[in-house]
Amino acid sequence: MSQNEAIKMETPQMSQPNESENILLIKGLHKRYNEGKSNEVHALRGIDLEVKKGAMMAIMGPSGCGKTTLLNMIGHLDQNSGGEIHISTIDANKLSDGKMTAFRRDNIGFIFQLFNLFPFLSAVENVETPLLLKGYNSGVAREQAKMLLRDLGMGDRLYHNPLELSGGQQQRVAVARALITDPAIILGDEPTGDLDSTTSAEVMTLFRRINKLNNQTFVLVTHNRWIAEKCDYIVHMIDGKISNVEMGPFEEDK
Amino acid sequence: MGLISSIKIAKRALTRRKTKNFSAILAIALGVTLMVGIQITTDTLENAFLTSLLIREGEVDIRFSNGTGGFLTAADKENISALVTDELAIMPELKSSGPAMIGSQFEPSVSMAGIPFDYDAAFGEFCYWDSGEVMDISTYLTVNTSVLLSSSLAEDMDINKSTELPITLTTEFTINDNVLVGNETVTVGSEVRVNLTIREIFDSRHPGIGASYRGVVFSLEGYQDWISLQDPLRNKDVIGAYLIAYQTDHFTTPIDEALLQERFDALEEILPVKMVNDQEVNVYAIDSARLLYVGIIDLIFTLMSSFLNVLGLLIIITGILLITNVQLMSVEDREFQTGVLRAVGEKRGGIFRSMLFETLFQGVFGGIFGLAGGLIFGQVVALYLVSLFGSGSASVQPIVKESVVIFSVLVGVILGMLTGLLPALRASRVNIVEALRGIKITFEEKSSANFAVIGVLLGIVGIFFLITNGGINKDLQYIWKTSGWDNLLEWENILLGAGFLFSGLGIVFSRYISRTKAFNLTAIVLWGTPVFMFVVAMGNGWITDMSGSSMGILIIAIIEVVIGSVLLVGMNLPYIMRILRNTLIKIRGLKGVAQVAPALISSHKTRSTLTFAIFAVVLTLNVTVASLVATNIDSTIGQSEEDSRGVDLYIQLSAPEYDLPDTSYTNELYKLDSSITDVIGMKTFTPSSTDYTRYVATKDPYDPESGFNPQKNLLPLSFGELRSDQIRGEAQNAADENWRFDFYMFNLPDGVRPSTIDLGASDEELLNQSKTAWDRFFDPDYKMTAYNITFDLENFDISSMGGFSAATLDDVDPILDINGSVVQYPIVFTDSFLLPLGMPIWIAFNTSQFGFPVYQPFTIGGSFDSERAGGWPLSRNMQTEGFSSGSFSGTMGSVYFPERFSNYTDFFGMVDELSPDKREADQFDTFLVKTSYPFDHPGIDTIAQLIEDFTNTRKSGYREIIDDEFMVATATSLYSKLEASLEMMEQMTSFLQIYVNFGLIIGAVGMAVISVRNVAERKREIGMMRAIGFPRYQVMTAALLELMVLGFIGLFIGVVNGLLVNVGFSNMMDVPVVIPWGTIGAYLSFITFIGLLAGAIPGWVASRIPAAEALRYVG
Ligand SMILES: Nc1ncnc2c1ncn2[C@@H]1O[C@H](COP(=O)(O)OP(=O)(O)OP(=O)(O)O)[C@@H](O)[C@H]1O
Ligand SMILES: [Mg+2]
Repeated sequence: MSQNEAIKMETPQMSQPNESENILLIKGLHKRYNEGKSNEVHALRGIDLEVKKGAMMAIMGPSGCGKTTLLNMIGHLDQNSGGEIHISTIDANKLSDGKMTAFRRDNIGFIFQLFNLFPFLSAVENVETPLLLKGYNSGVAREQAKMLLRDLGMGDRLYHNPLELSGGQQQRVAVARALITDPAIILGDEPTGDLDSTTSAEVMTLFRRINKLNNQTFVLVTHNRWIAEKCDYIVHMIDGKISNVEMGPFEEDK
Repeated sequence: MGLISSIKIAKRALTRRKTKNFSAILAIALGVTLMVGIQITTDTLENAFLTSLLIREGEVDIRFSNGTGGFLTAADKENISALVTDELAIMPELKSSGPAMIGSQFEPSVSMAGIPFDYDAAFGEFCYWDSGEVMDISTYLTVNTSVLLSSSLAEDMDINKSTELPITLTTEFTINDNVLVGNETVTVGSEVRVNLTIREIFDSRHPGIGASYRGVVFSLEGYQDWISLQDPLRNKDVIGAYLIAYQTDHFTTPIDEALLQERFDALEEILPVKMVNDQEVNVYAIDSARLLYVGIIDLIFTLMSSFLNVLGLLIIITGILLITNVQLMSVEDREFQTGVLRAVGEKRGGIFRSMLFETLFQGVFGGIFGLAGGLIFGQVVALYLVSLFGSGSASVQPIVKESVVIFSVLVGVILGMLTGLLPALRASRVNIVEALRGIKITFEEKSSANFAVIGVLLGIVGIFFLITNGGINKDLQYIWKTSGWDNLLEWENILLGAGFLFSGLGIVFSRYISRTKAFNLTAIVLWGTPVFMFVVAMGNGWITDMSGSSMGILIIAIIEVVIGSVLLVGMNLPYIMRILRNTLIKIRGLKGVAQVAPALISSHKTRSTLTFAIFAVVLTLNVTVASLVATNIDSTIGQSEEDSRGVDLYIQLSAPEYDLPDTSYTNELYKLDSSITDVIGMKTFTPSSTDYTRYVATKDPYDPESGFNPQKNLLPLSFGELRSDQIRGEAQNAADENWRFDFYMFNLPDGVRPSTIDLGASDEELLNQSKTAWDRFFDPDYKMTAYNITFDLENFDISSMGGFSAATLDDVDPILDINGSVVQYPIVFTDSFLLPLGMPIWIAFNTSQFGFPVYQPFTIGGSFDSERAGGWPLSRNMQTEGFSSGSFSGTMGSVYFPERFSNYTDFFGMVDELSPDKREADQFDTFLVKTSYPFDHPGIDTIAQLIEDFTNTRKSGYREIIDDEFMVATATSLYSKLEASLEMMEQMTSFLQIYVNFGLIIGAVGMAVISVRNVAERKREIGMMRAIGFPRYQVMTAALLELMVLGFIGLFIGVVNGLLVNVGFSNMMDVPVVIPWGTIGAYLSFITFIGLLAGAIPGWVASRIPAAEALRYVG
């Protein structure tokens, strides 16, 4: 792979930037767990949502309201029970598993709520793995992973195992892994959940910078109002439904 | 409180974690199955052998016969029953043997017996062959020409159950008459040919009296009629022996050998004596084949079962590895829980106890299931044994001793507990914080002080073994001297010493340097020392003294090689995995797999190591067995042509050839086929199993001091007479080049033998030494010192294996006579493994005018080289007959003496006990034939067929020349004989491989368990993999690859180790190494197959789990 495939901080990856273009379109999305069984849970009860390319959106809501479920649906980590999800006009429901996996690999970055990393791989190995899956030469992948980790201030922890890193450091590695393929959408499930306020602020500043530079879309779940207000707008969920959308910019952000 | 809560936790764990418990129970059950199986098969095998031998004795415990030869009479019954106490029954029997022809089939020597109708029920019964019902023999044996046929002879004679009866059987009896020649009465003998009617066929495999008759049965009176013809006075009051039964159900109830021996010894004490020629002789002789058989079986089985047990032990190690692995996994994937338990206040002891209770339950269940498995395993092996030894299904019943049942459950519990101990300890030591954080517990990098103490102790043990050589044992040399490397005993101490010392050093060093470095040192020494011995020391012929147990060395070496190699690979697993990763990562489509699979393997070092260790142990054994066999077979075939010294086939006649005025059998053979280049005729003799007067005595029968005991000190060996021209041809001595039949000798007479056994000697040197030995053999003036070696079946020294080991006789004293001078006798050569070099034996010659044997002493002056197949057309008995034919003399081998002694014996004139005529010098019965064909040429079989047709066709060929239809030849090509013995060897190894392959099953189960567990406990990681873009096939490939890599590491270690051991053996035996590629390929396919199977299913399941669900999974 050539050098110009390194992270292109200036040029967006997908089609031409267009403020009005929807990168994510969700219509009447439902999710029922244990469908048909006595312990059925109706986790998502008809979600309609549009997210514009380059937007930074926060999702808030009480525990158990379906935030993680919604993120999983967007990332197609699980089958939905009804409704549509279009990502940049592609209806991922219609893709085969292989195609979906490749699509996810190339276009979606994940930062999970808990235990983010492969415990048996070092920081840099965790970060380079998505590139390897894309077929990058291992040397190139390693260099890019190192660069990105250095960018995120992890230059002196490249070869540490996740268990040897603090929660914030782990989270930064997870962020690096989500960003390394330069995806159009980054899904974060409480990406700052384990972090203190200073580090949280740093991570959010980082997200904002990437969002500005690369025009990447962020969907972040958080319980922290202060974090949420760093985003462009906040979607509130209750009981598997969107209750209201609060548009920014928020005062504190100015 | 603590105890109860531990039990509760254990109970909950047992009921909740079903699959995990299942794998632990399965592992224990497999281990126990193996142990029980081995126990059952050895017991069964022993029983099968013993039964197949004992069945020939029916219900008879002791036989009384005439102490001075000849017959007993009806009157003796009273005397004998007065001597015997506690007997159940007593019965007369008259037994002999003669030729028999049924239809066109001829059998030169068929046993014939007459028994009374009113024999006691204690002796058992006769049963019909076809229906199995009890037969009343009196309805058939109404006249003296009516006989019954045994089913075993019927089978040999191609008669089956549907053949219509009656059939005619033709035989010969001797008629002696007193004829007046001048004023002297002379006894003149002639043969009469008689047609007998076979009225019925009885089952000679059915335990009981029928089983003791393998030929033809007459009524006692009927057979007395025929036997009385031999006596010019026609006395019909003749009885061969009185049979005593002490119990009635020998085949269903245990036999008390000790009691029988006691009774036998007591009887011997009170046997009446009479004076013959101023000599005190026993009126009666007693013998007990039962006691003799039991002794022999014991001997064979001590060898056999110790071998099986060692093999079994090594395989059981794999079982233990599996169980430990499973237990360790239980702890690992429950660390989080344990952390919670500890956090809410459970004490260490409580955790420890609850774990132990759990393993206790698993042990009990595993033990019970293992017992069941073992019974099935035993049954299967027993069935296989039937096909292998063909000794009749009745005799091969799995033997399950009560002790085995208790033992198996106990072993299960102990295995469960022992293997649970380490994991339980580990669980109780779990660091609460780390466990809760989900951190995998790692052992401390540096060893604790306690551990170092163990290291120091091991080191001391090691040093003790090392300084045994030269220090504690002065017979051995110090390790730093070159002479300290030339002896197996020295190597045994070197192996043990280095092993212990460096294990200890590794442990101590690991306190100061990194664990990996320290144990790498240990591993390299453990593996390197035996490999050095096999490859360098044996390869360069450094080891010249082979005394000591080569079995022991082999076992120690294999154990060290296995531990060393497993440790080495285990310690360097991360490094190896890094190489694997860097290789795989270049392959498009496998980059993700390359990133995770090797990393997973090295992150679970212990588990991975235990997994490949299972295969490493099993495959080391497998490859060792397989390649040893391959090497053996190859070298046997390769060397046989060389070792057969030009002989291509041998012929055995049913009776000595006729003394014809114008021709001889040899002459006729030359005429048959022009490719026959040489025919060497020889005289042989095999005593019948009832005529112990022809047996070899192993103590001086005339010396009251020697304690000669006919029951213990007589061996039923065969005899052969050799002439100089048969061996040397025209040559006069060893200096002469052209010997007719020169072959390798193993043990050599005094003076010829070098003082130390020189294993480096070339073939030519060995052959020259052998020739010199033959010069001594034929030299009428040569006598060899008799050494103080005694032979007793009861205390037969297994480790030396009699003639099997080359002897120097350096530390054996010569026998001195009363005057203090060394006793010397003429020498005999032998192919029997029972007779050690230098031992005196007494051979019964019959020059006494009273017909008693006159014993002539000889020294065993040499033995044929059985390893090199030396002289094996001669020493063929072991290979043809094996144990199932029941001919002990055939099995035990022969003694060969020079022709000049033939004047003292009419052995070689005897075809059977009936015709003790002298033979002419050139009346041979055995012929070795050389041809112009190569050894394995099919033309040789054609010649063999030609010879049989020439001799065995009615009214033509040789039978026409001699006008005798009773002459039968068996011609066998040496190559076909070789093939038969190779087949037997293969059967024996396939039997061993049952055990070894069981280890493979354990390995396969281990793989499956690990695979299922891996997937189950890695759900989160799998979800993460899917989320960041691992396609399904890569998730599956990662799971598969992990197993395959471990399997292949095991295979690789096994193959390398097995071949190295084999190199050592080939070096020792001086034969080229043969690599059994086929077998290795089979193992490769097996592991691939198992790996695919065990990995693919869980891997496939894993790849189907929705990523979101997998991601939620904790613990
Ligand atoms: N695999 C599952 N099976 C059954 N029910 C589930 C499953 N996953 C989630 N749920 C249920 O669906 C609902 C939504 O769960 P989800 O994880 O989306 O909540 P959340 O908003 O992320 O909560 P939190 O803020 O605590 O993470 C919950 O009631 C939960 O119990
Ligand atoms: Mg959540």
